[in-house]
Amino acid sequence: MYRYDVIDQEMVQDRAREFRIQVARRLAGEITEDQFKPLRLMNGLYLQLHAYMLRIAVPYGTLNGEKLRRLAHVARTYDKGYGHFTTRTNLQLHWIKLRDVPDILDQLAEVGLHAIQTSGNDIRNITADPHAGATADELDDPRIWAEVMRQWSTFHPEFSFLPRKFKIAVTAAVKDRAAVKVYDIGLAMRRGRNGELGFEVMVGGGLGRTPYLGSTIREFLPTRHLLSYLQAILRVYNRHGRRDNIWKARIKVLVASLGAEEFARQVEAEWEASDKEAVDLPDIELARIRAEFGREFETLAPRSTVFEARRESDPAFARFVRRNVHAHKIPGYAIVDVSLKVPGETPGDMSSEQMELVADLGERFSLDEVRINYEQNLILPHVKLDDLPEVYEALKGAGLATPNMGLISDIIACPGLDYCTLANARAIPVAQHIAERFADIDVAEGIGELKIRISGCINACGHHHVGHIGILGVDKKGEEFYQLTLGGSGAEDATLGQILGPALPANRVTDAVDALVDTFLKVREGEERFLDTFRRVGMAPFKEAVYAEAH
Amino acid sequence: MPKLIKLTDAGPDWADDIFIDVADEDAIPDGPVILSLARFQAEGDALITSNRPVGVRIEAGEAVEDLAYDLPRIAVVALVFPKFRDGRHYSAARILRERFKYEGEVRAAGDVLLEQARFMIRCGIDAFVPADGSTPEAWAAAASRYRHVYQRATDDLVPAFEQRRG
Amino acid sequence: MKAITANRLIDGEVIFWNQGQWVERFADAQIFGADDDAHAEAALDIAKGQPTVIVEPYFIDVEEAPTGGLAPVSYRERLRALGPTNLPHHGKQAEGGAAIEALLAATGHSRSTGRVNLIRRK
Repeated sequence: MYRYDVIDQEMVQDRAREFRIQVARRLAGEITEDQFKPLRLMNGLYLQLHAYMLRIAVPYGTLNGEKLRRLAHVARTYDKGYGHFTTRTNLQLHWIKLRDVPDILDQLAEVGLHAIQTSGNDIRNITADPHAGATADELDDPRIWAEVMRQWSTFHPEFSFLPRKFKIAVTAAVKDRAAVKVYDIGLAMRRGRNGELGFEVMVGGGLGRTPYLGSTIREFLPTRHLLSYLQAILRVYNRHGRRDNIWKARIKVLVASLGAEEFARQVEAEWEASDKEAVDLPDIELARIRAEFGREFETLAPRSTVFEARRESDPAFARFVRRNVHAHKIPGYAIVDVSLKVPGETPGDMSSEQMELVADLGERFSLDEVRINYEQNLILPHVKLDDLPEVYEALKGAGLATPNMGLISDIIACPGLDYCTLANARAIPVAQHIAERFADIDVAEGIGELKIRISGCINACGHHHVGHIGILGVDKKGEEFYQLTLGGSGAEDATLGQILGPALPANRVTDAVDALVDTFLKVREGEERFLDTFRRVGMAPFKEAVYAEAH
Repeated sequence: MPKLIKLTDAGPDWADDIFIDVADEDAIPDGPVILSLARFQAEGDALITSNRPVGVRIEAGEAVEDLAYDLPRIAVVALVFPKFRDGRHYSAARILRERFKYEGEVRAAGDVLLEQARFMIRCGIDAFVPADGSTPEAWAAAASRYRHVYQRATDDLVPAFEQRRG
Repeated sequence: MKAITANRLIDGEVIFWNQGQWVERFADAQIFGADDDAHAEAALDIAKGQPTVIVEPYFIDVEEAPTGGLAPVSYRERLRALGPTNLPHHGKQAEGGAAIEALLAATGHSRSTGRVNLIRRK
């Protein structure tokens, strides 16, 4: 993975030092809260329901043992001994004090961590395929390009005061594990006619009040022109995005109002008028970054007798392999999920002790690499099959081996009204209740892949629009109500969910999910997923199952 | 005479502001003036002489491209920030400098605050009318908080990827 | 009835106005009666003049809780006065006691059916 050189290191140190100055100016009354707020947001610091919340960046979801251990230390020393992983693969700490933040940033900077641009109207953390560098089905390691974009976007002088936040995701595999179609810019790597690599560039995706899937504005952009083309897109957005209404300020609104064709034309015109060479990285720098992501794997036998024997003799281990382990491009290795979804616990939360355990496992068994995916789980990307039984035992002992990846209890939930000032309703208890109802793994496996996504408000941090079952918290006369949607998907077959019916009160949501599952199991054909059944039979039977009961 | 902060070879310093900002409804006085874009396009052209420099005031959202033809004779382009977090003028400044090679003064006016110093200077703005009472010394310090930059911009700072080449 | 609340600048703590001081427990908050608007407004003005102490002071509506005592009418404000529902040992609710119980039992016309305990506490 990319290791910071002196320049990268000094950059985050200087940022920590700058924020210390800015905090001092705020405390001394030299700047107002109105003037300070964008500055602290550009440093990932929110004022939330109970305290400040600090959102620490995990660039393209990649960590090593040292960094993960430092996160554990900060969570223990300055928070309540735990953190929350988000759908943008960052880490949130929910009980932070402003006066501690300069020290926190210094300590993060020591190991190349930061909270740069994890909030605010700037270019946010760029997310990538969490299986990058480990999966056989990728054209290139997308994190190379995520790192290219990370550097270019950091403290970009022209694009730090955009109309609104700006999110970019990149994938280079056939399967889209980064949900690139629902971000401001989605980049999907393609191979061009003469074999060269490039990106399909999609713009204007986004969840929230009016969800959109991204429009392709360029079918093929050679990789070497990535930054100059991004500059063109960002400049058109910076100049013409709406600034009169925060609900209309994302680029998706600009693309919709101009039409994708006209928007693409303006981007191309800006791109052609610009000095591309001044922006695009020279080959030597691209090669340097690429080399950082190179990996030496051992030559192993494709079959591991230790692994096979354990799988045959231990049904629980076999189930763990079935659900939480994925094929690796290198024979003898595997990609291992670390589940943060124990039914009844808060989805995506991880204690400092658990972080330290996974840091240790990463160092010993995963070539010192740990990943975060946008579904609020962790990944050990390079585990030898020989080591898998030992890794499994360690994860199990720490409550990190629930074999439910992709199942009904692997729920994405935002922090919701329990923590967030933006929320209308709580999301965590809804997730807990549903997961507990379906805690029996045999039942969950029988249902198969079913992605439930819960957001506490229309900002959609829980990705409810792209859940197979989406649940949106709404405020109905001061009460918590929940709007259900069906048939969403954030993968390469991306679709937006359709509304099931009128919002339900909190105490009817789990029963509604139960009714949906019952209906699915009755009309399912073969091994169809819930999503496939919905796409085949439509809304009617599901709507009837949930609402007919009520009348 | 009112002052503003100007970037000199020795860094930011106080300078006399010789220009009068003229509202659209007011008569145009003698001496150096700054007019709105619309008024400049209607009347300003005729005012320019070697003794009377003329500048143009650009509001956020107005297109600096509309000035392209006249730029060689315009002494000052004043970019008015309605609110410090309205970032449109960062693009305007870069277009003026990098696309049109404008060599006159690009000044930031309006809600101009110390904490945005570095962004403004990197985008090619070289004069500032601060709204928060900040001084050239403070601007010099704010602009030099970082030892490196990642990307090329209008200023002549060497980006990291070039520094790395050695 | 109303009270004044804000977040403390230095640490983000939820705080309440009490006769010129800021207190951390809702139970200690100064309550302004329905006919006490002048005093309430004057207090809020003073609070707004403390930008280096607090962030964004504002009024919250307060009413009698069913088990006695007072509670904010708004569910969000009750959460601010208590803490998150998923981790009951976090936040002000960890203190326990009669005042916390009153807040937990509060309903009022902004009662949320979500307050019915969905999760059995271990």
